[in-house]
Amino acid sequence: MTILLAALLLFAAASGTGVVLTRKPRRQALAIAVNGVVLALLFMALQAPDVAYSEIAVGTAAVPLMILAVLASLKTDRPEQ
Amino acid sequence: MKRDARLALAAAAALALLPGIVLVIAHLPDFGRHPLPYGEAINGAATRERHVTNMVTAVNFDYRGLDTLGEEFMLLGAVTGTLVLLRGRRGENVSDAPAEAEGRPIPPRSDAVALACRFFAPVLLLFGIYVVLHAQLTPGGGFQGGAIIGSGALLLYLGEGYRIWRRLVRSHLFDAVEATGALIFALAGWAPMIFGAKFLENILPLGKTGALISGGLILVTNAGVALAVAGGFVLLMVEFLEETRTTKEDER
Repeated sequence: MTILLAALLLFAAASGTGVVLTRKPRRQALAIAVNGVVLALLFMALQAPDVAYSEIAVGTAAVPLMILAVLASLKTDRPEQ
Repeated sequence: MKRDARLALAAAAALALLPGIVLVIAHLPDFGRHPLPYGEAINGAATRERHVTNMVTAVNFDYRGLDTLGEEFMLLGAVTGTLVLLRGRRGENVSDAPAEAEGRPIPPRSDAVALACRFFAPVLLLFGIYVVLHAQLTPGGGFQGGAIIGSGALLLYLGEGYRIWRRLVRSHLFDAVEATGALIFALAGWAPMIFGAKFLENILPLGKTGALISGGLILVTNAGVALAVAGGFVLLMVEFLEETRTTKEDER
């Protein structure tokens, strides 16, 4: 296993933990996007470009965008604590 | 349950599962060494048998096309269920007015956001079509391309606002796109049986390896998936935005 793979695996673990530890929904959406980018890079390094494509399209673009769009138009917006 | 009790339960469960996890990890094959022969077999056979250069597409849309057909209808079922739940009593009615919440005015889009979205929305659309059309040649395919097209559509909302988004993105149209995609895949399965072949058998001319039109039936099933995924993504976004929009009390 190369240094590149080891580093990407560590990044994946770190950014995944970051998603869990982020508590505000808006920041969480961005944390998910960051995690998606790291996972896509990991899949690229493991020579799975098709999966990397799916991860970028769904995990980094579509899902965070959907969360952000819904948050932006939510009718009940509680004051942030 | 109290927080302490929950933590104690979680710790006990982790302790109970630990030996099993250690055992499984100890018996994992070495990193990068898989014991299964199918990957090598497909790599050796797909270009010769199907005239495609993307083995993942060959597996998804031909060799294991039946699995993809199942996934296609899972997607259709999931999108349909979400739509039924979210539409609720509102039915298919839409309005031109964006959401309004008391004491929370909608900030106007900045010029930078509008410019970026106007630039990236058509580029993303074009790139999505490119990814769909090159499914049998390069990485990517109907699913990835469809998701990219869906993301590009959402940029219309971000850049142009609710009113223009609703005017351009008609849910009737994307209902039809979604259903047509699933129908194309199902017909691609049945049509070969009319000519005496097996279900989903690739009886179309395969074309020249490396050409844009190659792979035979793979082109058809890939197009079906692309339509269904793009339609499904856009419909979900339409309904999520529509759901959060409603503010009138008598509509609930």
